[in-house]
Amino acid sequence: MSTDRKIGVFICHCGGNISDYVDVDKVRDAVEKEPGVSIAKTTMFACSDAAQQEIIEDIRKEGLDGIVVASCSPKLHLLTFRAMAERSGLNPYQYVQVNLREQCSWAHRSDMQSATEKGIHLVRAGIAKAALCDPLTDMRIETIPKVLIIGAGVSGLRAALTLSDLGLAVFLVEKSDRVGGWTGKFGKMFSQNLIGEEVIEKLLGEVKQRENVTLFTSAKLIEKSGRVGDFSVKVQTRNDETISLDVGAIIVATGFDPYQPAEEEFGYGLKGVITLPEFKQLLDGSNGEILYEGRKIRDIVYIYCVGSRQDEDEESSNLYCSRYCCTSAVHTALLAGEKDAGLNQFHLYRDMRTYGKQELIYEEARIEGSVFIKYDDYDLPKVEYIGDKLRVMVNDLLIGGEEVEIDADLVVLVTGMVPRENDELTSILKLPIGLDGFYNEIHPKLRPVETVIDGMYIVGTAQGPKTMAESVASALSGVSKSASLLMKGYVDLEPFIARVNTEQCKWCDKCTEACPYDAIEKIFCEGKEVASIIPSLCKGGGACIPVCPEDAIDLEGYTDAQIKSMIEALVKDEETN
Amino acid sequence: MAIVNTEFIKNISCSGKFNASACMSCGTCTALCPMEINTLPRLMFRHVMLGLESKVIENTENVFSCLLCKMCEESCPSNVHIAENIKCIRQYINQEIFKLGRS
Repeated sequence: MSTDRKIGVFICHCGGNISDYVDVDKVRDAVEKEPGVSIAKTTMFACSDAAQQEIIEDIRKEGLDGIVVASCSPKLHLLTFRAMAERSGLNPYQYVQVNLREQCSWAHRSDMQSATEKGIHLVRAGIAKAALCDPLTDMRIETIPKVLIIGAGVSGLRAALTLSDLGLAVFLVEKSDRVGGWTGKFGKMFSQNLIGEEVIEKLLGEVKQRENVTLFTSAKLIEKSGRVGDFSVKVQTRNDETISLDVGAIIVATGFDPYQPAEEEFGYGLKGVITLPEFKQLLDGSNGEILYEGRKIRDIVYIYCVGSRQDEDEESSNLYCSRYCCTSAVHTALLAGEKDAGLNQFHLYRDMRTYGKQELIYEEARIEGSVFIKYDDYDLPKVEYIGDKLRVMVNDLLIGGEEVEIDADLVVLVTGMVPRENDELTSILKLPIGLDGFYNEIHPKLRPVETVIDGMYIVGTAQGPKTMAESVASALSGVSKSASLLMKGYVDLEPFIARVNTEQCKWCDKCTEACPYDAIEKIFCEGKEVASIIPSLCKGGGACIPVCPEDAIDLEGYTDAQIKSMIEALVKDEETN
Repeated sequence: MAIVNTEFIKNISCSGKFNASACMSCGTCTALCPMEINTLPRLMFRHVMLGLESKVIENTENVFSCLLCKMCEESCPSNVHIAENIKCIRQYINQEIFKLGRS
């Protein structure tokens, strides 16, 4: 280990979160003699303004060229301390955080001695890494003030208009020959009785007025490369033409598919058993009394949670709640009642989830005479023909689980949402998919539209089941994320990318095959062919490193030398100290 | 096992006064009943709404045990006029079971 470095080590009590279980003074005593360490201190709260100021003074006074803060998870304060390092004049990438809380004190509360020993090893590894940290500079990339939106449903259209308001150009790509998605196919929708078709018509009318929005229908994305702020995409249009576009951000608003019940699932396939979207369309097309295949409908049975909250023991079940269906079903029952007041409507539900303001629609449906029957999760209603009568059998929990039988003219399966089948697009975008099959966000609460791919956002029901209002809110959230990225004009990226040692490289092509981002190219250098990293494409994934037979590639910030010296420090025996 | 009879409620609501559809089965009424009649009123009303005639008749004694004190009605979060409904059911039983004329 190089010893010409001047490293400062600051060990945090975190109030007691760390020091109640790890003897921080003992840790300091153990590491202050480590090679390269100029100064080692403990501090009550390293993240406090006063403590940061003290550390900055120490950095300047001692002329430190590397610091280690042993505190909490880097998820919490990595950026805090990087900024602190920068204020002191130290390169922010010469700062190393050691996680002494989540990965030590909190994990080993019952054994202070062992926790302290582990703490010593962790801090030593941090010092070993700091000793090999070179100054690095962020990569600044200029962003293109244009956004690609995939999917022109209500989310995509609303996002396009708002981006256009902000002065950002939009390319709106829709797979089908018409815009509007599912919203455009419906009449009155909850909760304000807005008519889906009209909502879409209005949005489309506005979109057509915008010079900075270009709409492609019957078009699809066929290629994507580049990175945050600077993507290149290819779109295949109606006439099989291929158009190349450069955009700074991508919003994925591809929507959902309605759950399609399996044959015989709650009698699906029998005459008179239809899904909620099918019933809504039947209702939109009828004036006055409701006819199904020429026959007047009088008794309707709705079965809720079809395709949602399914049995976890079954294979490929949908475990999630689809959010919109309870409200949509009670709202549909109200619309049906408006058309024909003589209807008898029975709702077989598991739990009513007409949350928020939608609760009022549920109340109205009850007052208007809909009867709600609760069935058990593991005791599902059965639908079959008795003679020429469609009959539903259900054990009503609200009368003590007794079985009741209902003769129905129509059984409506209240189907949920499933992820849209979009394998081709998913593989082009390389978007991660969650356990539920929908596109996966980074954080469900704090970063709900961001993905692991910087500059690519998932909005509306592509991310998970949502009502129309929630989809629009999510779309606008995607707009705000794209705009905050693009309106600054540039983006700074962490410099943790691969680096090729051209002397060692013999160009065997193995690294280019391993790289999922096409970030490696062949160049000529000093008379031979060698691999070269394209900084704007490299994500520092590290796939190229282990496949290199010459060990010619290293990852900045995580070099082989750093990792090896960290491992050595971690396993170093107490006696040899 | 019982078959839901959507016509039955029409017999009960002949006076047009029976209405329990807003009930959400919270059970506040059952919990508050000073007579501790546990079939009343929530469950009884569901029997009516589902048209389970035999169940309604099975509970004749309970229907007539009610004091009409309205303790339940005062506390009903869905504003169901419980006492009025009980009177409707009594009227039905008087006619159908006890064969009494219209009062």
